[in-house]
Amino acid sequence: MTIDEKILVWKFNRGSKDAFQMLYEKYKDDLLGLAITLLRDRSLAEDVVHDVFVSFAGTTGTFHLSGTLKGYLSTCVANAARDRNRMRSRRDVGLEAAEAMHCDSGDPVEHAINSEQSGRLTQLLGRVAYEQREVLVLHLHQGMRFKEIAEALGISINTAQSRYRYGLDKLRSIMNSMVTK
Amino acid sequence: MKPAKNIEEFVKLEKPDVKTGGTMDERTLDDSFAAMDETIRAGRPNAAWIILRSRAAKLAAAAVIIVGVGLMMVYRNPTVQQPPQQTVSVAKSPAEMLTAMSLNMAWRRGGIEAMDEQSSKAFKMLGSKPAKATIEELRVELNGV
Repeated sequence: MTIDEKILVWKFNRGSKDAFQMLYEKYKDDLLGLAITLLRDRSLAEDVVHDVFVSFAGTTGTFHLSGTLKGYLSTCVANAARDRNRMRSRRDVGLEAAEAMHCDSGDPVEHAINSEQSGRLTQLLGRVAYEQREVLVLHLHQGMRFKEIAEALGISINTAQSRYRYGLDKLRSIMNSMVTK
Repeated sequence: MKPAKNIEEFVKLEKPDVKTGGTMDERTLDDSFAAMDETIRAGRPNAAWIILRSRAAKLAAAAVIIVGVGLMMVYRNPTVQQPPQQTVSVAKSPAEMLTAMSLNMAWRRGGIEAMDEQSSKAFKMLGSKPAKATIEELRVELNGV
């Protein structure tokens, strides 16, 4: 965590809304990308990011950080996304239906560009088991170490590493099958 | 490059570049600020909370307690005052005090002032001098004639 970020967290802990807004601006897009990759649903992903930031705001005055803020927020998003994913599974909403849900992006063109950019990987990762996808994204996109991921998800380091390897294998086999088609 | 590395690189490069919408930003910030206000209103930290949270405050509180206990013990059990040592005066007869040797020793110790003081003490011990003494009386007293 940089000195600037430490100062922002310190100010946030003393009730500064400007500091909170700066932290939000810094991480919102990154966290939304993470949530979209995990959930494959922008609307749900926006809800997750919203909930994470509101919960974070509620810790003002008592917030204590041991690692990095990015790691902390990424973990919160991953945990919230997992809960949403479980709820969605119970409700048995198909992925096709989820894709068609409302999107908050004001500009349709911007949304289309974003969808195009994030679409390829999101589609591929959508075929990987959720637990493996979670570890892949947290490690490769959020830059979290396996130890951090294991602590965040409440699993052992070996489990995190094996999920990562299985996820990569699965992705490779998906891509190979696409090439051979 | 190994196939696994290729896949890793692909996933890294394909990281979604998404942007939040204005509506989402507004909604999130409004709700977050409301949550902050509520937290601040609900739990203004009191002194005990600050002491428990801060390491420096804990040390300061411990130091204050130790000093307080120490002061209380001192005031409850004050140390017994030792009586000042009294000088022991050696009583000497006026006759001894006025011998040449005694006056010489006084002079060696404190000069003319010590001699004068010793003489004064001796005269004080002898009592008041006669109101009037003629040369003839002194000669009679000294010579016995």
